[in-house]
Amino acid sequence: MSYKIPMGPFHPALEEPYKLDLICEGETVSDAKLHIGFNFRGIEHLAETRNYIQVIALMERVCGICSNIHTLTLCQAMEGLTNLTPPPRARYIRVVVAELERLHSHVLWAGIAAKLMGFKTMFMTCFELREKVMDVLQAISGNRVNYSMNRIGGVNRDIEDPLAVLKMVEALEAEMARTVIPIFTTSTTARSRCAGIGVLTHEKAISCGVVGPVARSSGVPQDLRHDAPYAAYDEMEFNTPVEPDGDVRARLMVRALEIMESCRILRQALTKMPPGELHTGDAKFNFVTGTSTSRVEAPRGEVMYSVSWREGSRNPARVHVRTPTFVNMPAIRWMVLGARLADTPLIQASIDPCYSCTDR
Amino acid sequence: MNLITALARLLIFPGLLFAVPAAWFFLWVERKAVALMQGRIGPPFMQPFYDFIKLLGKTTPLREGIGGLLMKAWPLLAVSSAAGAVALLPVLPSSGGFEGDLILLLALLEVPSMCIIAAGFSSRSIFGEIGSAREAVLSVSYNVVFLLAIVSIAASQHTFRLEALAQLPASPLRWLGVLAILVCLPAKLHLNPFSLPNAEQEIYSGPMVEYAGPELAMWELSHGLEWVAATGLVATLAAPHVTLWWIAAPIFVALSFAIVLLLSILASATARLAIDTTVRFYWQCTLIFAVLAISSVLFMRLRS
Repeated sequence: MSYKIPMGPFHPALEEPYKLDLICEGETVSDAKLHIGFNFRGIEHLAETRNYIQVIALMERVCGICSNIHTLTLCQAMEGLTNLTPPPRARYIRVVVAELERLHSHVLWAGIAAKLMGFKTMFMTCFELREKVMDVLQAISGNRVNYSMNRIGGVNRDIEDPLAVLKMVEALEAEMARTVIPIFTTSTTARSRCAGIGVLTHEKAISCGVVGPVARSSGVPQDLRHDAPYAAYDEMEFNTPVEPDGDVRARLMVRALEIMESCRILRQALTKMPPGELHTGDAKFNFVTGTSTSRVEAPRGEVMYSVSWREGSRNPARVHVRTPTFVNMPAIRWMVLGARLADTPLIQASIDPCYSCTDR
Repeated sequence: MNLITALARLLIFPGLLFAVPAAWFFLWVERKAVALMQGRIGPPFMQPFYDFIKLLGKTTPLREGIGGLLMKAWPLLAVSSAAGAVALLPVLPSSGGFEGDLILLLALLEVPSMCIIAAGFSSRSIFGEIGSAREAVLSVSYNVVFLLAIVSIAASQHTFRLEALAQLPASPLRWLGVLAILVCLPAKLHLNPFSLPNAEQEIYSGPMVEYAGPELAMWELSHGLEWVAATGLVATLAAPHVTLWWIAAPIFVALSFAIVLLLSILASATARLAIDTTVRFYWQCTLIFAVLAISSVLFMRLRS
């Protein structure tokens, strides 16, 4: 007997509203349908009504987790249209904030994954750690969610004492290496819930065009920080963790290893930070007619902004956003086919979906 | 045991008057212990009682197509049978009991679980039905080892009377049985790693999803009473025999408390297992226990 189980739009396993209709045979999922659009706010249209200063504040509110990534990508695209290059110190500060954001996003995801496995102790540990990452971000920017660090041609705020931030980052790294990573990699119950479920094969990953940690855990070695370096990533030394298995455990491992790599990048960026200006100093910008695109490796994968402008205008003609969840989402259907019903919340969460970015 | 003492045991001690506060206390201990282990503050001491009173004061909205009487009957049946099970526990030495009360206790302990299954199906919610199906599968798998353990304890000591069992010196088989019962308790009390039927991230709260107000309060109470009865059963079997009641009663309470703590630690240190892993685990337990029980019986026969 097959029956349909609606998961969402409001469900304890979902952070954000979307809907997964699961067709089940007993406890086995035989098909799935995905519905999105519950969180549509018309931000791309609103962006066309804002000037070049206001649009940055607006796009920061596309996502609550990777707010910095959106302004970073937008500013890079707008720098392409104004022919400005941010000074070296600004590029380093951009790397620091982006990596701290990656840390905070990955730890948050780890907590949610733990909660979906029914492992609430781990959830609490992860969120305690995330709180500490947010403290670092607050120490740098004064804000916990929308950092407003980026501007056209640089950053708004300086990291006055990089070595003090470095100390906080090192304490964080030690705690992650001591708690989160060993528990996720060695706990028997956690492993029994993750290993071999929600498999996305290498071929399927390429044909679905998945990005970010989802692609890397299916053996696709893609990382924009290496492939198309932006900010100061070309001066950093780091590895891109790749796992061949494509199951939830591989996604967990990739993110766990990325946490450690992020700490490594942070250490380099904070110790090597060059002195100098924070931004180009312009207050008014002359945009040229045209379209500029920018790509950034967000915690969930590649974010792309395509910004069009007409010369003499203060407002953008079009701001188009492509978020990683938009490309990763269709892969959920292939991951849940044949899975147990009990595993579907974890499988859908394993791509680290962000529907507020996707619906915007 | 005449009617009056039986009623006194059911209603006063160790029945409702003792068991209901004990149930709230155990629920609080479990919640507080888990909270402390997770770095949270946890609920205040009276919280389970406040929850109960608050739920009692609410009215349940009428829903189309759900049999109102049946929905009300299941939690009441669960509460009364769990209270009956508690009443049978020989907390005080020489408190009575009759030949075969162990079998009655087991039957009464099983009723709340059957009520949950029935309640899930009568709620006509897809999440309730899945939860009930899981509860049914779970109960079939853990009950084999649970019953096997109790039957082998009783058979090895030639009595099905709880009080007699509590007074006899423990044999190795009895410790093996107690261990097997302890393994079954997380599943019986819906705790991690076997909290499948009420997995809120997967199927909301399973069979309880359509319940609210006083009926939900009754479910909470029956869950608490199950805690008292199940931990009490283990404490009865594991407690050393003491004739003085004022020593025996604190030992009983301390042992129950220790079991609650043990189960809370297990619950907070594990993730929820999937249904097939759980079933496989319990059947493996059954097999191991059966082999151990038979070999220990053979060993004792050879020795005597």
